[in-house]
Amino acid sequence: MSATFDDSDESKPYATDPEWADVIPVQQYEGVEPIAPIFYTEEYKDATDYFRGVVKTGEMSPRVLKLTEEIIHMNPAHYSAWQYRYRTLLALNSSLEAELELMDSFAIQFLKTYQVWHHRRLLLTALRSVDAAARELAFVARALRTDAKNYHTWSYRQWILAHFNDEDRLWPGELPWVEELLEEDVRNNSAWHHRFFVVWQSGVRRGEVDREDVLRRELAFTKEKISLAPNNPSAWNYLRGVLDHTHTPYASLTSFVQPYTVAAAPGPTDDSVVDLENPRPSAGAELPCVPALEFLADIYEAEGGEATPKAVQIWKSLADERDTIRKKYWEHRIKDALHGSQ
Amino acid sequence: MTSSGLRPTPVDGYPSPTSRLQIATEDILRAHVPTSGTPPVLNRNLHLQFLLRNLQQGFPERYTSQDASQPWLIFWTLQGFSTLGIGLDDRTKRRAIDTILAMQHPEGGFGGGPGQVAHLLPTYAAVCSLAIAGKPGPGGGWDEIDRAKMHAWFLSLKQPDGSFKVSSDGEVDVRGLYCLLVCATILNIMTATLLAGIPEVIASCQTYEGGFGSASFGEWAFGEDGQSPDYAAPRPTLGEAHGGYTFCATAAWALIQPYVRLYASSPSPNLSLAPPAVNMRSLARWYAAMQGGRAELGGLRGRTNKLVDGCYAWWVGGGAAVVAGMLKEMDEARSIVGECVAGDVDAKEGEGEEAKEEGWEDDDVDDSLFDRAALQEYVLCAGQHAAGGLRDKPPKHSDAYHTLYCLSGLSVAQHQVIPNTSRRIALRSSWDSAKARGREGSGMSLSDDQLSFSDGLRRESFVNALSWLEEEGTEIYVGGAVNRVNATHPLFNLTVTHTEAVMAHFYGQSLPIRRPTSRPRRKPPTA
Repeated sequence: MSATFDDSDESKPYATDPEWADVIPVQQYEGVEPIAPIFYTEEYKDATDYFRGVVKTGEMSPRVLKLTEEIIHMNPAHYSAWQYRYRTLLALNSSLEAELELMDSFAIQFLKTYQVWHHRRLLLTALRSVDAAARELAFVARALRTDAKNYHTWSYRQWILAHFNDEDRLWPGELPWVEELLEEDVRNNSAWHHRFFVVWQSGVRRGEVDREDVLRRELAFTKEKISLAPNNPSAWNYLRGVLDHTHTPYASLTSFVQPYTVAAAPGPTDDSVVDLENPRPSAGAELPCVPALEFLADIYEAEGGEATPKAVQIWKSLADERDTIRKKYWEHRIKDALHGSQ
Repeated sequence: MTSSGLRPTPVDGYPSPTSRLQIATEDILRAHVPTSGTPPVLNRNLHLQFLLRNLQQGFPERYTSQDASQPWLIFWTLQGFSTLGIGLDDRTKRRAIDTILAMQHPEGGFGGGPGQVAHLLPTYAAVCSLAIAGKPGPGGGWDEIDRAKMHAWFLSLKQPDGSFKVSSDGEVDVRGLYCLLVCATILNIMTATLLAGIPEVIASCQTYEGGFGSASFGEWAFGEDGQSPDYAAPRPTLGEAHGGYTFCATAAWALIQPYVRLYASSPSPNLSLAPPAVNMRSLARWYAAMQGGRAELGGLRGRTNKLVDGCYAWWVGGGAAVVAGMLKEMDEARSIVGECVAGDVDAKEGEGEEAKEEGWEDDDVDDSLFDRAALQEYVLCAGQHAAGGLRDKPPKHSDAYHTLYCLSGLSVAQHQVIPNTSRRIALRSSWDSAKARGREGSGMSLSDDQLSFSDGLRRESFVNALSWLEEEGTEIYVGGAVNRVNATHPLFNLTVTHTEAVMAHFYGQSLPIRRPTSRPRRKPPTA
């Protein structure tokens, strides 16, 4: 009965298949000599002619599921086939769990297609099951092993978390998981964004009501990651994001930032005491680093008055020497600080 | 170019998968750094042949993946010709119009091909293709667009939080929002009903990095019923800041400014709320940060810690051009408010001569946020494929998408198209409100109050879009003027000429003659 999983006869064209004899195929262009046409395979042309045929009559049947599956295999970006498939599944009261299983292989094969992820979202919405949502998180984690920064996969995970919003089953694993990912690649910006999403953007997680505490934890975490690789913009952007979000002045991090704005001191430092609040740059750090200089200039700019020239001096050194590709931007900052509205 | 200028991205002795890929890519790109003495050349004829082959003969089988993007294939090709300064013959225009019109959905909008469901993205590509190839009158394509149905279809996609699905049962994201706003602006169907909530949606998609993610999660604040919204509830961003989405959100934000301003100045149901705001400072910072170093030939990346790619020459370069234009406009508005409170705006013309004497920065006629010459080098040295067409990066093949967006990126790096104050004044003074109202396309009936609001919105949308002009005298041509491509309007990615013609038609306006404007420059731009 399950036409969806029937892979026999797959090479037989619809045009000669007696099972499809009652459907009138619809050509794509009638009476038009199309410009910039695509040279389809016969197989694709045949299938899409019959797809247009069933759409025209509004047929929703098991064989339509088979047809749309074939089209999607040949072109996973065919959003109309996806949409028609989804409506047919609902109309036939088909098992959405079985569909989700079928989708597992699709998603890995067509990771970069919008539709495979959106289709899952429609299925999950219809299923209304936290169990299914929890399985999805595991599935997404597997998919990200193949492509750690896949945009659709990440935004799908964030949608799952927010839509089902389950404090017992879904949220608790997120932070440890993100930390694992950042352990593997401290420059994975998608993971940093996910951390921001989990910690700051989606309400307050259980056990995180004390926001001062969360702020201290996040600053300590980020500083530690910066000390490992000070030229990593993802970590600095997260740091800025946390400070902006909590309205914490950048100046509160002056003593942390300072060592990153000067050339590394040769040999061991005088500090016999390790300052846990302010981890120092690692031995391999290439210093001074641009993000730290930029950060320090922002501190000076916010201070204003006599500190403004110090900010300007840093921007000039960035524009003329250390980050010349962004000369225009640094000059814009100078102009803004000297003549801006502040 | 000194070797120190080509130093690799610092890894701090702490390699990771990202840094390994980055360094490997820089090793490939470094081989394409231009040597002094041989200026890079745009292989114009090869690219024209590539475009012509796609247009006349068609696309090979691997483009089946674009079967649901047929208006895009046409737009990429037609706008590629426009950018290279090539006009189309009548037969080609005719075929392009017929092909596009075959994709118009009976219930409004355009699909990715004939018989496909209407979708916001191909609708943008279809409308812009018709802007290039079409004309008024029967069979000209423009008057065959069913604007009332398109507007009704737009409304059918609207969500309780003000966002839009890209198609019935489709996903929500800012690409769709941008495509919708372009169509509504060009076609004179910008209604208050359509725009309600859009500013809040755009603002909620800005991430902590300054750029924009794909969408925001609206369910906590606006449930399915849309009743009694909780404006204080979080609307988290889905996905990190990304070049494609950031372009769409930035240009959408620029297109909706007339509505934001009118809405702020009219009695609002939500007076207790601060108007939605985009942080332009962090946005400008994000755009600037996307430019790769010298070892990456100054190409643009789409996300923090990702690789440069020729297509971001447009998405990030074009978006940065929009921000630069908006910042300039804000600067001017400030100085007008500050220095000329009750005076005539016209009196500000020519002002600035004294200001130029004050400091070094006013010598600079270049308002851009990125290194325009370096970006041109990327497109010319890494983006061109020897067999014609342009690409992501070596050693990849060229394709229709990268060909247009590399050329568009080259264009925004060569030219500056920004809001022009005197043009804005001229457009306002020649505005014919009755004609524009008569050409309104949504077909919605409005009360008297709404009529005056929508008259204002219509005029300002028109003026806002068409006040963007090329700032003469600010061109930079790496490799010399022989590499010149046409300027493109950063809000639409059409030439200013095409934008003017199609909008003049749909708003029933005759446009004032454009006078070349230029700011004096002290030294010729160098490349």
